[in-house]
Amino acid sequence: MGRRVVNVAIASVGGQGGLTLSRVLAVAAVYDGFSVRTGETLGMAQRFGSVVSYVRFGDSVLSPTFSEGEADYLIGLELVEALRALRLLKPGGLALVASVVKPPLSASLRREELPAEALLEEISRYARTVRVPAVELALRVGNPRAVNMVMLGVFAATSGTPSDSSIRRAIAEVVPARWVESSVRAYELGRSFVLSGS
Amino acid sequence: MALMGNEAIARGFVEAGVSVVSGYPGTPSSEVIVTLHEFGAGSEIYVEWAVNERVAFEIAYGAAISGARAAVTMKAPGASVALDPLISSAYGGVEGGLVVLVADDPGPHTTQTEQDNRWLGPLAKLPVLSPSSPQEAKDLAVAAFDLSEELKLPVILRTTTRVNHAVGDVVLGPVRPPQRFREFRKDIPRFVRAGMLFNLERHRWLSSRLELTEGVLTKLYPGANRVEGSGELCVVTEGAAYNYVREVLEDLGVGASVVKLSLLYPPPTEFLEDALRGCREVLVVEELDPYLETVVKRVLYELGARAPVYGKESGHLPREGELSRRLVAEALVSVGWVPKTAVSPPAGTYPSPPPRPPPMCPGCPHRNTYLALLLAIARAGYRRDEVPIFGDIGCYALSFQPPFEAIWTEHSMGASISMAMGLKVAGYGGPVVATIGDSTLFHAGLQPLLEAVHKRVDVLVVVLDNSVVAMTGHQSTPAWGTTESGRRAKPISIEEVVRALGADRVYVVDPYDLDLTVEVLTRALREPGVRVVVARHPCALMEVRARGVTRRYRVVEDRCTGCLACVRTTGCPALYYSNGRVRVSEGDCVGCGLCARFCPYKAFEVVEVG
Repeated sequence: MGRRVVNVAIASVGGQGGLTLSRVLAVAAVYDGFSVRTGETLGMAQRFGSVVSYVRFGDSVLSPTFSEGEADYLIGLELVEALRALRLLKPGGLALVASVVKPPLSASLRREELPAEALLEEISRYARTVRVPAVELALRVGNPRAVNMVMLGVFAATSGTPSDSSIRRAIAEVVPARWVESSVRAYELGRSFVLSGS
Repeated sequence: MALMGNEAIARGFVEAGVSVVSGYPGTPSSEVIVTLHEFGAGSEIYVEWAVNERVAFEIAYGAAISGARAAVTMKAPGASVALDPLISSAYGGVEGGLVVLVADDPGPHTTQTEQDNRWLGPLAKLPVLSPSSPQEAKDLAVAAFDLSEELKLPVILRTTTRVNHAVGDVVLGPVRPPQRFREFRKDIPRFVRAGMLFNLERHRWLSSRLELTEGVLTKLYPGANRVEGSGELCVVTEGAAYNYVREVLEDLGVGASVVKLSLLYPPPTEFLEDALRGCREVLVVEELDPYLETVVKRVLYELGARAPVYGKESGHLPREGELSRRLVAEALVSVGWVPKTAVSPPAGTYPSPPPRPPPMCPGCPHRNTYLALLLAIARAGYRRDEVPIFGDIGCYALSFQPPFEAIWTEHSMGASISMAMGLKVAGYGGPVVATIGDSTLFHAGLQPLLEAVHKRVDVLVVVLDNSVVAMTGHQSTPAWGTTESGRRAKPISIEEVVRALGADRVYVVDPYDLDLTVEVLTRALREPGVRVVVARHPCALMEVRARGVTRRYRVVEDRCTGCLACVRTTGCPALYYSNGRVRVSEGDCVGCGLCARFCPYKAFEVVEVG
């Protein structure tokens, strides 16, 4: 039981940047000297489908994924997907969720309503939950697609890892050049949302 | 540095001095060549997609018999496409190293079957190596070239999704210059499979080379097969499963020796005899078939050992699906190595929100084509259940989902046309439709088309031409004038090819012109012979990337009645239902306008965007 590993699940809708987020975390954790694994499913038309990425870093990590009830953190880029991935969280694990709802087609075809408040309430019945106005924060940097980077800042500030400098290096390495500046600012807004509550 | 398994394999190929790389896109293998396109620009390395896996393999084989180092990449079913030349290549052998990357998909996550290509080893009589991590994937990729060259045999590097798509920390090695053509010596007994006596002789040669494998690999890469830990309880494992085993044993505090294999075929018998000699009980942890389990049982039999072997054949692990930390922990409980209390029960009950399978993207031209086809079937006077629509492999297969539920089959590359033909020759009297993507047609659809033309079978073939291999991440097709590496290529015209194959009627339409597409398909449904309708419009994702979005749609609230006509007709994921009305997800709409067209209340309006 001596191994210390942080397990992070990232739940998103394909196209939201969940994979970019997982890659930035992995690269930053390697810069920090951690042993790192991520596990994802890529390639098939995943766009607009459910996507879960696994990120693990710590002393010595081998498995790219983990099982239900093993995540220390769940980062939800979307509330329906956060709800779906809750089973991955360990007892006492923390859900960091963006207040974003993208109703799936299957719900719309049935006229099923999925209000954000109700989803948030349901999520917080199962886990300690930090809700993040991620779209508003992303819009503040003029890049509505930067919800993933906002949540990166929220995660880093909450967990204390990876280090700020490694994350900045990782963003510059992973994100396409023209998006680096707004990504860094979105990340900073996510950080300060946790650290100063704004 | 942090590398994905496939990036690490690409790096390994470069470190080994590869000079020819070919392949066909297929998850989870595609990123190897995608990565090499970046490494390889302006270099001496030939890195290109081929039209299919067998052609890709033959290109690589042709290079390797001349002393060049070559590699070929494919997903699991692609190995079956390449099987004919692969098996023959074992008899001819190679001069330059030839590495065949075959990426299997336990799960399955993105593959039609859970085909276990470790059996290619005994079937093709070629060495099979299997890594567990990105680092080992890189190291084994390098070792595989040296092994191949020393044995003079192609070597199969067999991976699974959890290695190909895992990101991990990787230490790089030195890069060798690309090893290109040296000489090609005419050697008829070696390379001409027409002589049966040669073939018998070459088979004997092959067997003698294979016998050297364990010794050569152990010299090249001493850690390939290793025992970690100690004890009379032994776990034999390989690939992704090794990771779960190591972690779970450590987490649960079980003292056991872990017998980790990288050489799967020929089985490293000497190593295994040493490793298993002292075992009191053996648990075999592997994904998919009980392949290693049969190996372990054979080795124990040879040793005269009576240790019980647990695994899939004993029912302690599943034969289907991928393994996980939990499944391995549960297996340790069920064999009695850890108490039941050591493993927490699965998480309790959680809510099940509405499912979200991947749909066709907003603006996807395939949506228009299938919609036009369904409308044409009605207009031509048929019921939907009278006109079987055969599907094929690609994004357009997502049309099986509601609201379209269009295709009746999706089987294997190119099978839409031949299976539709089969239905007709079996006596089906109504019209049949085969729907096939552009790259799938190039890959394996042209011969079925030729067959249908030659036998004068009535079939409507709809080519869903989005001018790219979209599903695997937008790779080039033979219709491109320049490939990813910057190579100038001769674009192949689908309509010219199908005309030359003798199709009775050939139409080309833009599915964004829905009326014309319905009209053409209606006519084609009524005609006899082989009719080919090429429905051509670029993949919406590519088009947006190239040209940006110039307009979007939004719903005028007081005009929308929430009737859902738009959602039910298009199944567009940019539309959603909220507060009794349909809304458009602003960031997702690309402005194709299909929803507006089917709104009975004219509730959609255009928003021009900068």
